[in-house]
Amino acid sequence: MADVSPVVPPVIELLDVTRRFGEITVLDSVTLRFPSGLTTAIIGPSGAGKSVLLKVLVGLLKPDAGTVRLFGHDVTEAPERELFAARRRIGMLFQDGALFDSLTVGENVAFPLDQHRRDLAGAERDRRVAEKLEWVGLPGFEDRPIASLSGGQRKRVGLARAIVLEPEVVLFDEPNSGLDPFTSDQIDDLVLDMKRRLGITFVIISHDIVGTVKVADLVGMLYEGRLVEYGPTADFVRSGNPIVKSFLRRNLAPPVSAFDPGEGR
Amino acid sequence: MRFLESAGRFAYFLVDFGRAMARRPPSLGAILEEAFRIGVRSLPVLLVIAVFVGTNLALQGANAFAQLGGQNLVGTFVAMAGVREMAPVIAAAMIAAKAGTEMASQIAVMRIREQIDALEVMAVNPLWYLVAPRLLGIVLVLPALTILAIFVTLLASWAVVVLQLGQSGAVFLAEARATVTGADLAFSMVKGLAFGVIIALVSCFFGFQAGRGPEGVGRATNAAVVTVSVAVVCLNYLLSVVFYG
Ligand SMILES: Nc1ncnc2c1ncn2[C@@H]1O[C@H](COP(=O)(O)OP(=O)(O)OP(=O)(O)O)[C@@H](O)[C@H]1O
Ligand SMILES: [Mg+2]
Repeated sequence: MADVSPVVPPVIELLDVTRRFGEITVLDSVTLRFPSGLTTAIIGPSGAGKSVLLKVLVGLLKPDAGTVRLFGHDVTEAPERELFAARRRIGMLFQDGALFDSLTVGENVAFPLDQHRRDLAGAERDRRVAEKLEWVGLPGFEDRPIASLSGGQRKRVGLARAIVLEPEVVLFDEPNSGLDPFTSDQIDDLVLDMKRRLGITFVIISHDIVGTVKVADLVGMLYEGRLVEYGPTADFVRSGNPIVKSFLRRNLAPPVSAFDPGEGR
Repeated sequence: MRFLESAGRFAYFLVDFGRAMARRPPSLGAILEEAFRIGVRSLPVLLVIAVFVGTNLALQGANAFAQLGGQNLVGTFVAMAGVREMAPVIAAAMIAAKAGTEMASQIAVMRIREQIDALEVMAVNPLWYLVAPRLLGIVLVLPALTILAIFVTLLASWAVVVLQLGQSGAVFLAEARATVTGADLAFSMVKGLAFGVIIALVSCFFGFQAGRGPEGVGRATNAAVVTVSVAVVCLNYLLSVVFYG
């Protein structure tokens, strides 16, 4: 495994993290640093432990061994106040959106504002919500109930909610899965744009190699709980690792298939 | 074994909840919203049940005392059984059946759809956001519903005594009034309060414990309503022993 340690300081660090569920080891001594201001993509086959990795990063799942640091705070040791302060600086999109069914689209997107930015007046709050919905290609969706949305629309509302506080770090669990190529492209552009304008650090879980190559500065591949390859995108796509090669070949085979092998979870 | 494990988890749940409440007082708006919803939703079915508990207390009371030759004790009987025991328990049972199951299943769904994880990541304590308003909403509403159930039960009994059995309403009312004291009403409200605390905490607890997959929701809801029912009748006995000896 190539240990590329960029000069940029990491905002999130995983040191030798192991996580098991019963008998199976889902993460096996994973060490990863997510450098500030860069976009890191984590790819890997279904069941490789990508979503678990993301949950470990934010302290939703405790590692069985190893250390996780979020902005320098040890996620497993920090008292709730400290952990919550760190979490206010991140936004996260869950694989299935995790939207609140009892709230409208607008209320979902506004949720972090309503909880943490009480200082914002009604009009400013509404403006920010409308702006984020526009960014994800759903202008004017404020009053729609969640139940009326398609899978891809839910995902985009989840995106809007994840970025509404304009956090320093944004974690996306498969932002593109279930989206058509046009919307996928639009989301990729959004990521690039937010990175440029706001300097946001992204961690993106993806199956979509094309999108990954376009947006990521660094790519890591998880396979059976291990980080089998990690490095700058240009190096990654030329990796000699047979697992990486076969994964890339399958995904880059032209014409690029819209079929996502990991869908349906 | 499993029981002990659940009890241990429940204890942790209570401690965590206490901590969350101490850190941040719950929002009044959310509490009132819950109280209103619980009250309005449970009211119709509670009224119906209270009416028919009242009718049957009067019928059986009249039957029992007819054999002993003292019909005018019906008012006393209804007042004691209805006010002290039946009304608090049926009000709690209805709230458990409507609001309790709803709490358990809503929270369980949120658990399995990662919405509770999402709250955590958005730096919102899920116990504070989900449990506190439900608990305080029920605590506001259940004593009031208990008092309402008491009066509806008495009214229905009175109607049976007068309209069906053709006995004196005035005697019934005098008996009832002589039996029911302010303390009885206060005790019943305390019961309602205690039952409300149990319903909310136990139902929410089982919601949080829900296992993965859709069957997790059903199982959590079931476990909640069974546990709440048993806990309420046991506690009712204990409180009656304390209040009435
Ligand atoms: N809460 C849990 N309890 C038990 N096992 C779990 C839990 N969460 C994940 N797992 C298991 O961990 C493994 C990795 O799951 P994970 O969701 O991280 O996969 P993934 O890489 O995100 O896959 P996909 O691309 O399909 O989303 C799977 O075998 C899964 O069943
Ligand atoms: Mg996943």
